[in-house]
Amino acid sequence: MAGPQPNLAGILPALVEFAGVSRSYGQRVALDDIYYEINPGELVFLVGPSGAGKTTMLKLINREIRPTEGELWVDGLPAHRLPASRVHELRRRVGVVFQDYKLLPRMTAIENVAFALQVSDLRASDEEAHDRALDALEAVGLGDRADAFPNQLSGGQQQRVAIARAVISQPPLLICDEPTGNLDMETAWQIMDLLEDIADFGTAILVATHNVEIVRRLQRRVLTIVDGRLVRDQPAGHTGKMVWLASWS
Amino acid sequence: MARVVVLRPRFPRWRMGVNVVRNGSRYLVRGALRSWTRNLGSTAPALGSMTLLLLLSGVVGLAGLAIHNVAQAEATQASVLHIYLRDDAKQEDIDSLTARLQYDPRVRSVGYTSKSEALKRAQRRPGLPELADATDGNPFPASLDVQVKQVDQVGAVDATARHDVAVDQSFPSSYDPGAYQKIQRLMIGLAVGGGAFMALLAFIAVTVTANSVRAAIIARRDEVSIMQLVGAPRWMVKGPFYVEGALTGGLAGALAAALTLGLTFLAVQAGAGNFAQVAPGVTAQVGVVAAMVIFVVGLLLGSGSSMVGLRRHLES
Repeated sequence: MAGPQPNLAGILPALVEFAGVSRSYGQRVALDDIYYEINPGELVFLVGPSGAGKTTMLKLINREIRPTEGELWVDGLPAHRLPASRVHELRRRVGVVFQDYKLLPRMTAIENVAFALQVSDLRASDEEAHDRALDALEAVGLGDRADAFPNQLSGGQQQRVAIARAVISQPPLLICDEPTGNLDMETAWQIMDLLEDIADFGTAILVATHNVEIVRRLQRRVLTIVDGRLVRDQPAGHTGKMVWLASWS
Repeated sequence: MARVVVLRPRFPRWRMGVNVVRNGSRYLVRGALRSWTRNLGSTAPALGSMTLLLLLSGVVGLAGLAIHNVAQAEATQASVLHIYLRDDAKQEDIDSLTARLQYDPRVRSVGYTSKSEALKRAQRRPGLPELADATDGNPFPASLDVQVKQVDQVGAVDATARHDVAVDQSFPSSYDPGAYQKIQRLMIGLAVGGGAFMALLAFIAVTVTANSVRAAIIARRDEVSIMQLVGAPRWMVKGPFYVEGALTGGLAGALAAALTLGLTFLAVQAGAGNFAQVAPGVTAQVGVVAAMVIFVVGLLLGSGSSMVGLRRHLES
């Protein structure tokens, strides 16, 4: 199942760099002194029990929140001190996929994807947005369902549309929050195959998941956080059977 | 590793500009219009409140202008001192008093009103013709009409003139101590009261409109959050809400302006039909200016209220 892992570390600068990042909510420490990097083309799993800080980490990368301490760099942008007026610059470099897809119900699949392109890049004409959205939908295997509304699509298909929407602007980084959480195992594997294909083209992907089976079989790099601390950073191919992970699923 | 290189032809700059304008206007104006129409149910209370408040503001403003004009006229009147002359006063005494007043540095001008002119003036005033007709002869005295430079010097000028031999000692002058102070107090009271009332109206209008904007944000929260997530710039996320607010404010302003203009024309027409003007100084031109001001204030109030609503509910 494991695809060819591109090794671009050292060739290109890190896409994500956590340097002593902490995040607190009042007295509660959600993340504590986190250090790690993600390089272009890496597919990295982020695992840990519920409430460990996975979602906080993804929100920090997407600059929905700011660290209370430390530095966080995303594709060369300082997310830790990026003013609100420049957040859109960062978000154009980060595609986001959610467990609940977050598609606009009044728009068709192709409109959802084209909308994301045109609001992030006003220079895109209607024709260009349509063509590129169709390309993205074909890339995720949904070219024939482009005119379907979200409620006419299965969960797996909706997640594919969400992935197409996340990658249409060709961001260098994709973050996925439980992308297979609402899907059956077979569909989950299809989604993971798709994410692996995207990573193979050089996009770095960080996937927060509880799915032990996927993490164990894909043998990609795994970051484990517990109680806000990064307790393990296992490189690709050295994740073992990860029996310990099963106790949290 | 396989790499895909996408070669794109050179794209003309002018077409990029056209796309930017087209897409920008689509999300700002068309999106706002669509959303405004869709959320008309939640916008209607704000629209109604703003219309009512702007109309009240317009009426209060015009009434304030009329009262201001009345007060100004009264203040001008208060600085004119009428020194009533005895019926049997000698001409040289009158000339002497006139000369003395003309040389007084506090006096701007001195005029003379004869008994017959005083009668004619009285007959032009409401209520006084009956009085003039009810008595035999002419009951109105001749007078020197002294325009004093400063209204607070009227008392001093009066004191120098009231005991003159040419002056009627039973009713020497029109000087009413404290009249100007009363007018001033009335003016200040009206200004403070009117200002407080306007501030209250503005606060209510901003609160109601900000709440309607909040309702619009809630109705579009999915779209807004996706726009934010895919990297739409802030102006693009917030812009439609400003446009929606300006639409609500502009429409409320237009309605209130039309009603205010209508009321102004009614007041002008009513004033033309009666001897006394209903609202002194409020003319058709003033009504048009007031209507334009109300419309602009509506636009600003709508956009400003949106700003308040967005600041509280749409900070990234």
